[in-house]
Amino acid sequence: MLIQAQQLEKTVDTSEGPLQILQPINVSINAGETVAIVGASGSGKSTLLSLLAGLDLASSGEVLIENEKLSELDEEQRAKVRADKVGFIFQSFLLVPSLSALENVMLPAELAGHKGAEKEARELLAKVGLEDRWHHYPNQLSGGEQQRVAIARAFVGQPKILFADEPTGNLDAKTGGKVEELLFDLNKDYGTTLIMVTHDQQLAKRCQRVLQMEAGQLSEAAQDVA
Amino acid sequence: MWHKISFRLLKQELKRGELTIMALAIILSVTAVLSLSIFSDRLQAGLTERSSEFLAADRVLSSRRDIPQEWLDKAGQMELQTAWKVVFNSMAFSGENMTLVDVKAVSDGYPLRGELEIADQPFGQGYVAEGLPAAGEAWVASQLFQALQLDIGDSIEVGNSSFKVTKVVTYEPDVGFSVFTDSPNVIIRHSQLEETGLIQPGSRVRFNVLMAGEPGAIDAYEDWLLPRLNDDTHSWRSIEDGDSPLSRSLNRAERFMMLASLLGVVLAATAVAVAAQRYCQRNYDVVAIFKTLGADKKQIRRIFLLHLLLLTAASVAVGMALGWAIQYVVIEWVAQKLDATLPQAGWQPYALAGATGVISAVMFTLYPLFRLVSIPPLRVLHRQLTAGNAIRWLQWVLSGGTIYALLVIYSQQWWLSTALFAGGAVAAVILLGLGRLFISASRKAGMQAGSSWRLAMAGLQRRAAQNSVQMLSFSTAIMLLLLVIVLRNDLLEDWKRQLPADAPNYFAINIAQDNVDDLQAMFERENIPSTDLYPIVPGRLTHINGEKLRDEVTKEERDEDEAEGREGIGRELSLTWRETLPPNNELTAGQWWGDDAKPQVSVELNVSERLDIKVGDELRFNLGGEVFTVPVTSLRKADWNTLQPNFYMIFNTSTLEDFPATYITSFRLGEERKSELYELFKPFPQTSLIDLDAMIDQIREVIGQVSLAIVFVLVLVIIAGALVLVAQVQASMEERQKELVILRTLGAPGKLLSRSITYEFLVLGAISGLIATLAMEISLFILQNQVFNMTPVIHWKLWLVGPLCGALVVAILGRLSCYRLIKRNTAQLIRKLA
Repeated sequence: MLIQAQQLEKTVDTSEGPLQILQPINVSINAGETVAIVGASGSGKSTLLSLLAGLDLASSGEVLIENEKLSELDEEQRAKVRADKVGFIFQSFLLVPSLSALENVMLPAELAGHKGAEKEARELLAKVGLEDRWHHYPNQLSGGEQQRVAIARAFVGQPKILFADEPTGNLDAKTGGKVEELLFDLNKDYGTTLIMVTHDQQLAKRCQRVLQMEAGQLSEAAQDVA
Repeated sequence: MWHKISFRLLKQELKRGELTIMALAIILSVTAVLSLSIFSDRLQAGLTERSSEFLAADRVLSSRRDIPQEWLDKAGQMELQTAWKVVFNSMAFSGENMTLVDVKAVSDGYPLRGELEIADQPFGQGYVAEGLPAAGEAWVASQLFQALQLDIGDSIEVGNSSFKVTKVVTYEPDVGFSVFTDSPNVIIRHSQLEETGLIQPGSRVRFNVLMAGEPGAIDAYEDWLLPRLNDDTHSWRSIEDGDSPLSRSLNRAERFMMLASLLGVVLAATAVAVAAQRYCQRNYDVVAIFKTLGADKKQIRRIFLLHLLLLTAASVAVGMALGWAIQYVVIEWVAQKLDATLPQAGWQPYALAGATGVISAVMFTLYPLFRLVSIPPLRVLHRQLTAGNAIRWLQWVLSGGTIYALLVIYSQQWWLSTALFAGGAVAAVILLGLGRLFISASRKAGMQAGSSWRLAMAGLQRRAAQNSVQMLSFSTAIMLLLLVIVLRNDLLEDWKRQLPADAPNYFAINIAQDNVDDLQAMFERENIPSTDLYPIVPGRLTHINGEKLRDEVTKEERDEDEAEGREGIGRELSLTWRETLPPNNELTAGQWWGDDAKPQVSVELNVSERLDIKVGDELRFNLGGEVFTVPVTSLRKADWNTLQPNFYMIFNTSTLEDFPATYITSFRLGEERKSELYELFKPFPQTSLIDLDAMIDQIREVIGQVSLAIVFVLVLVIIAGALVLVAQVQASMEERQKELVILRTLGAPGKLLSRSITYEFLVLGAISGLIATLAMEISLFILQNQVFNMTPVIHWKLWLVGPLCGALVVAILGRLSCYRLIKRNTAQLIRKLA
């Protein structure tokens, strides 16, 4: 089991008292699986993603990545887990504006202290079709290109898990389609576990499992998945 | 690895101009501090050199008895130059005539500092003397030619010796400036002193050894010498200037420069702080991404600390180079303009400037950096997340502490720093409150106005908290600018008033009563502007309200019994009488006598304070044996900065007019008419003339240098102020972006938006200007009263200029900053904000 959530809950304090965003959630994801989390806005999908990725801490319950309890790790140790095992793709790309495409892709490998980051980054940029644009800065790239850089960055260092938050949400249908292809192709090549939050039913259908999030509760939507 | 990332980020951010303001602010503070402190250091050193000339040495060892040869030998061993100068009074004779002269017997090397100037004819054009009079010769002052009816080549007799007069002394650097005590000078060689037979045990001689050398050598000798000195017979003088107009002007100028550069640095530091905060805020996302990608706090701290250090180091280096270049150019220019060379500065200015740059960069960026490092990674999903405000006090402690530290470093005065700091803190709180008040008032006013105004006022109100902080820095910047400008004008005006172009350049003293009318007629006929003639009667103040005064003529003559008594002036006074209050005098207590014939006296304020004399006190005077007592009926403040006769004691006419008096006046005779002086005064042989030109020139020169320095400081402060404004406006633009996007998306025309932003800044600027003017007047009042000893005045014009300029400048800056934002199309803006 790669990732496990046990009785995972999240409550936040608001001016009208505590608000429970996630009801107790239990889910297990195996290595190599592709999982989509779907649901309406405000249903708690992104919160679940942030807890699974160790970006945030649960109010109660537990997340285990390769049997390591995230709640027992401090922020620095969780950063280490992310550096070693996790890649991210965001709706708003989140590239570092002061770094070139190549430097953005190299970033996670460099932070983790890997050698040969540049070579790996160049190969990945070639795979996403941006080998000629490596020296461009984010503001010189289109939205689709930026997301391709982000995808390349997500795969550098070959993480075991890839978290994607609405990866095509900011793109038009055509560009989104291309990015989608790229994401699944690379995922297949690298055998990465993909956990994706999305609105897009089409995109969700390409995943092996679809989890439905509704008012903080998670259910397996096994219905028409192929 | 992390340093590579840091370099890359820095390179690109520099390219994109993200760090420009911060770098400029650091560069500016280093440049300002370095150029100013080198400048003032060199100016100071130059003045010390000039003042040394007034001693004709760096130090003078002075004694009533002969000075042990061992002490001179020691000075020689320590590589100090030495020269003898033995001074005493004697009668000089030439044929039938005789007069009292000051004999100055000097040895080779005299003067060690400055130059002796001589002329070939009395009152002739002087030139620098090479060497000293030969044995058997004397060089004498112009006045002696009048008094003894001498011609060049005649002989004078002093004691047992006869000296041939070969040159006229026109300028002695160490002649000092004392109108009443100087007899004409006669310079002879020290080696001929013994032959005169005038140096006998008990004769009133002052032995002086002049010394000059490297500061280190002098200090070492001083350490060796001081324990050997006997306080009663020896004195060791350095160039600490007394209460001359020069030292006072200089003192003020120095304080002004210190204060102004300090304000400049505070402004620059504020710009650093604002820019750093903005810089860190812009990097919140970057840090969140880094953390999401697995960076730990240590890596992030290192990456951004390296940024800061590189930026600081580069900016400090650029600032140093620029500061050095600026002071070099300015000094060259000053030297050229004023025909003076200024000595090199030491290492201290470099250390001070470097420290200022590093301190302001590091201390003002620490808190924003601290917040930056603690940005949670979750910000990648929730963009509104920032670092907690839990340690906000740290920011206040850091920036407050830094400003205080800078204050102490600069002023080197705890009390002044603490007072300024506490005053500043109180002012800040009041300004914050006032700012809020004004904002809410303008909101109400704006409700009745057009849509741009309404939008502007709504914006002001909504951002009240940020705006009042922003207004605080606008106000501070405008206030400091106004303060420096006004203070500079007041200082310069004050100086100009003291030294008008037609300031008297001669004192005529010892004018006989019979000559008074003729002399006045001569002045009128020859069109020579002069002050009134004042009679002088020498006399001593012996008692106040019947209490005997201690009267220390010399320490040897001190009578032990008298040591207990009330402190006196210690010397004979020049008393005068007059019917009207002299010009440039101001009554501070009591009343002027008018026609009242009862004996009475008016006392100068400083002396009344020193001797604790009040109106109504009875003063007893002794005038050559005749003793009388008069009541004090008024106290006067005299302006000692003007070159006209001033008196401690002025009597009404009936009290003194029967005493034999000589007269004194001052007059102005232009350079081109100097050659006429001898002929003009030939009919008044007893009259002695004192040439003030050398002193006036020196004061003018110094004031010239200092005025230039002040203009320079002003320019620096203005740049620093502008930087703060730009940094602050830019920072506020970030906050406005989101709102602009929404309004733009809703279809608000660009004109409406840019107008509303302009109005918003216009109001902010006007309010800041108003508060600044108020704060400026208050600080100016305190400063002029407490620091500069000037008379405070209210600057009505500024109450209009301050708000107007504030409004204009801030609005223009705001408008310029938002121009790019409004020019962008909405899609670009949304993407930028996404």
